[in-house]
Amino acid sequence: MSEKKSIVFLCNCGNNISDFMELDALSQWAANREDVLLVERHNLLCSPDGRKHFQEVLQEHDAERVIIGACSPKMHEKTFQTLAEELGINISTIHMANIREQCGWVTADKKDATEKAKELIRGAIQRSGLAEDLERRTMEVNTDVLIIGGGIAGIETALCLARAGRKTYIVERDIAIGGFIIKTEEVAPNMECSPCVLAPRLSEINDSKNIEVITNAEVKSVIGFFGNFTAAIHQKARAVEDSCIGCEACFEVCPVDVESRFHHGLGTHKAIHTLFPGSVPAAAAIDKNRCRHYTDGSCIACAEICPFGSVNFEQKDREREIQVGSVVIATGFDVIDPSSNPNLGYKTMEDVYTLSEFERIASSNGPYGGDIRMKNGRSPDRIAVIHCTDVMFEKNGSPSCTPLMNMIALKVGEYVHKKIPGAEVFNVHAGMVMAGPKETAYLNKIRDKHTRLIECTDMTTVTLKQDDRIVMQGAGLEPIEVDMVVLATSMKPSEGTAALAELLHLELDENGYILPDHELLHQTGSSLDGIYIAGCAVGPCNMGTAVTRGHAAAGDILSKLVPGRHIELEIMTSVIDEKVCIGCKMCISVCPYKAVNYDEQKHICQVNEVICRGCGTCTATCPSGASKARHFTDDQIYAEIGGILHE
Amino acid sequence: MTHKPKVAFYWCASCGGCEETVVDLAEKVLDVVAKVDIVFWPCAMDFKYKDVETMKDGEIAVAFINGAIRTGEQDHVAKLLRKKSGMIISFGSCSTHGGVPALANLTSRKKIFASSYHHSPTVENPEGIEPMQTSQVNGHELILPEFYETVRKLSDIVDVDYYMTGCPPTSDNLAEAVGVILSGNLPPKGTVLSPNKALCGDCIRNETKPDNMVVERIRRPIDIILDSETCFLQQGVICMGPATRTGCGALCIDGNMPCTGCYGPTDNARDQGAKMIAALGGILSENREMETNEILERLTDPAGTFYRYTLAASKLGSVRKEE
Repeated sequence: MSEKKSIVFLCNCGNNISDFMELDALSQWAANREDVLLVERHNLLCSPDGRKHFQEVLQEHDAERVIIGACSPKMHEKTFQTLAEELGINISTIHMANIREQCGWVTADKKDATEKAKELIRGAIQRSGLAEDLERRTMEVNTDVLIIGGGIAGIETALCLARAGRKTYIVERDIAIGGFIIKTEEVAPNMECSPCVLAPRLSEINDSKNIEVITNAEVKSVIGFFGNFTAAIHQKARAVEDSCIGCEACFEVCPVDVESRFHHGLGTHKAIHTLFPGSVPAAAAIDKNRCRHYTDGSCIACAEICPFGSVNFEQKDREREIQVGSVVIATGFDVIDPSSNPNLGYKTMEDVYTLSEFERIASSNGPYGGDIRMKNGRSPDRIAVIHCTDVMFEKNGSPSCTPLMNMIALKVGEYVHKKIPGAEVFNVHAGMVMAGPKETAYLNKIRDKHTRLIECTDMTTVTLKQDDRIVMQGAGLEPIEVDMVVLATSMKPSEGTAALAELLHLELDENGYILPDHELLHQTGSSLDGIYIAGCAVGPCNMGTAVTRGHAAAGDILSKLVPGRHIELEIMTSVIDEKVCIGCKMCISVCPYKAVNYDEQKHICQVNEVICRGCGTCTATCPSGASKARHFTDDQIYAEIGGILHE
Repeated sequence: MTHKPKVAFYWCASCGGCEETVVDLAEKVLDVVAKVDIVFWPCAMDFKYKDVETMKDGEIAVAFINGAIRTGEQDHVAKLLRKKSGMIISFGSCSTHGGVPALANLTSRKKIFASSYHHSPTVENPEGIEPMQTSQVNGHELILPEFYETVRKLSDIVDVDYYMTGCPPTSDNLAEAVGVILSGNLPPKGTVLSPNKALCGDCIRNETKPDNMVVERIRRPIDIILDSETCFLQQGVICMGPATRTGCGALCIDGNMPCTGCYGPTDNARDQGAKMIAALGGILSENREMETNEILERLTDPAGTFYRYTLAASKLGSVRKEE
């Protein structure tokens, strides 16, 4: 029996416990125990009156241990610990014996439940005798924010936060920010010029002292929790220093042409290049796989001509570590590659393009200067747009994007009519679902402008054949001859989403997008506190929604990461005994929070108690018993089991 | 001469390896003999139990007892030595944690007798005779010690002052222990006379261990050619080193064989086998393509792997007896 004396509180929980066991008998039994100083019954210990009573009893009696036979510790352990703490009693003194959820509610017979409650209380008494004092620790929140992805959602999130005075980092995989929007000509439904929409925002980012843009970079790890994250970032060398202003002088002398990924391979840029004129950052970058300085060492033309001496072939990759309070994932989306469906002729027939490619063709800053033309140089007279190609790829299909893609696919007609008067556009669809009234109005407007909508009863039957022209066939369609085909390929999670989710321990939804905390109440929160999702990383959406999601995430962050506010650190952390640990590293392998490190000097493992969440996994794993979970030590657990199994 | 402390050695259920350790002291045994009087060592010299019985209580300074407690005789002599000795040292894996003999707790006395006296291919026993505690032969009553149902560690039977682990403890361990005892500078009662750290700390291969170890598939030493520098676990071979107290000098590792755990757990770990299983759970591959059974296919003897020396000291106890 424990030598320390306990006060045992028994709660009726209204009648949620008293109806399920004989509390009088339990009370009597406890009172007769030598290790029990006092038994206190209360009708509802968590009520205001109950709390007052609890504190009064604790003040009157000098109990070394307090056992509360009531509900789950998840419900009210914290409540009673805080009440004790207010009286200057260490929180480790308070122990809950869960005689409700784990006893009364799951035991049919009242007598059995009473006996079981005795065992649980006995276990709690035994366990409590070995409790060590616990210390509350807090730290001030870090209000800085890391944004992963520099598309419109990431940009708007950053601007929103920066205007509120928050330090913000945008980490972008490409060499400049801008994302998908910068590659489009006009944004539906109001057909606003995309570069015009983006330019002032890019310029504001450039001028903002609060925003740091880290391009050509990827996040390698994020450890910590809301208010206290550490992110490791790998930034690849671009071989051009920040002093570059993007004057393009080097472009003329660079002898190597590279397929432009900005133009989806339809045009070229030089081995030294910017993503687009006026990009942020302005600095060019060198494609090291193609640049002759790297391939055969034969050329340094760009370095010679650069007026700013910005070219630096020796530039090294950079590993950075930044401290932030919150992370926003704004990694956007990718589009499905339609080449896996041979019926669509993508990459095998000339003049079959994806919608993204067509967007570049139609763009004034595109590979053909906005001139819509075929491979033979002629303008197309008849163009087919095939909607909903996702239904042809069952595996990757994400029907949720249908209304979005319908809208974007309808833009083809508008581009064509502006540039090739009289040309005909056929939109083949499986039902024109539109997202809202504005989109529906756009549909009606476009329909009047010679865009013909043709419904196909089964999109999986659509087939293209190369004849003099391209012949399109499909269920419910008369064969249509066209010069050019645009495939409205569906959206899918951006490449690397799954890897990022794994890195951050986030859950994905059934389509592979980051799963929100709550579909309706917290769409921009992830399954982990402090990690937010904006834009299409949550799922397909239009630009307006992408931006709104960014603003929502920023607003939520601003409401929680308030300067000067403190967060409570985990109390029941794991701790490794330096004298016993020999650095076998098993704990490092299992820690889900990456809170355990190997000390190269001491040859032992150590827990970073600022990051540790007290899950106890390392303690369970530690083969030499060097790791101890505070408040859940092996000794305590064995004592509890012992108390449950025998007197 | 009269001031030389008296020392006893006794063996219970053991293989004799622990006795070898004493012999392995070689010329150092003379140093020991010069400093102590060996008054009881049935394995090596002719002593009778009654020699001990006639001694005064506490007359023997130190008794080293090796082997687990399997029979009534072992139980009796252990208690006798406890009475007559100032200090009892549990010597070796079997007395300290049950050792290999305790693996028999996974079966029963009935099954052991059936195998040993009836079914074993080398046994010819047409009359079906089994050893009995008492039997009559030519009008005489013969008595054999009771064969216990369960093998126990020494500390389950008598109060033990110090523990030495190992199968067997090395002669260096023994010389060191004797030195400590003779110096009179004794550690607290109940101490295990080996450092309270796991073997990996003394293993040169520990530095080859990655931070994020993943075992794709468990292998037995006979399945692969063992690399002589890489951590065995990293090679998929179960090495009990992380869950085993150091003190042996990493002899098996030096011989390019994994640790089998004979020095038992550290003071901080209660159940060596459970600790190792828990640790392994954390590093086994999460490859969902592969069935867990496939990963564990070559783990042919879990009890003998994780509890080879400590079953009598484990939380598992023994099998439920049918008798």
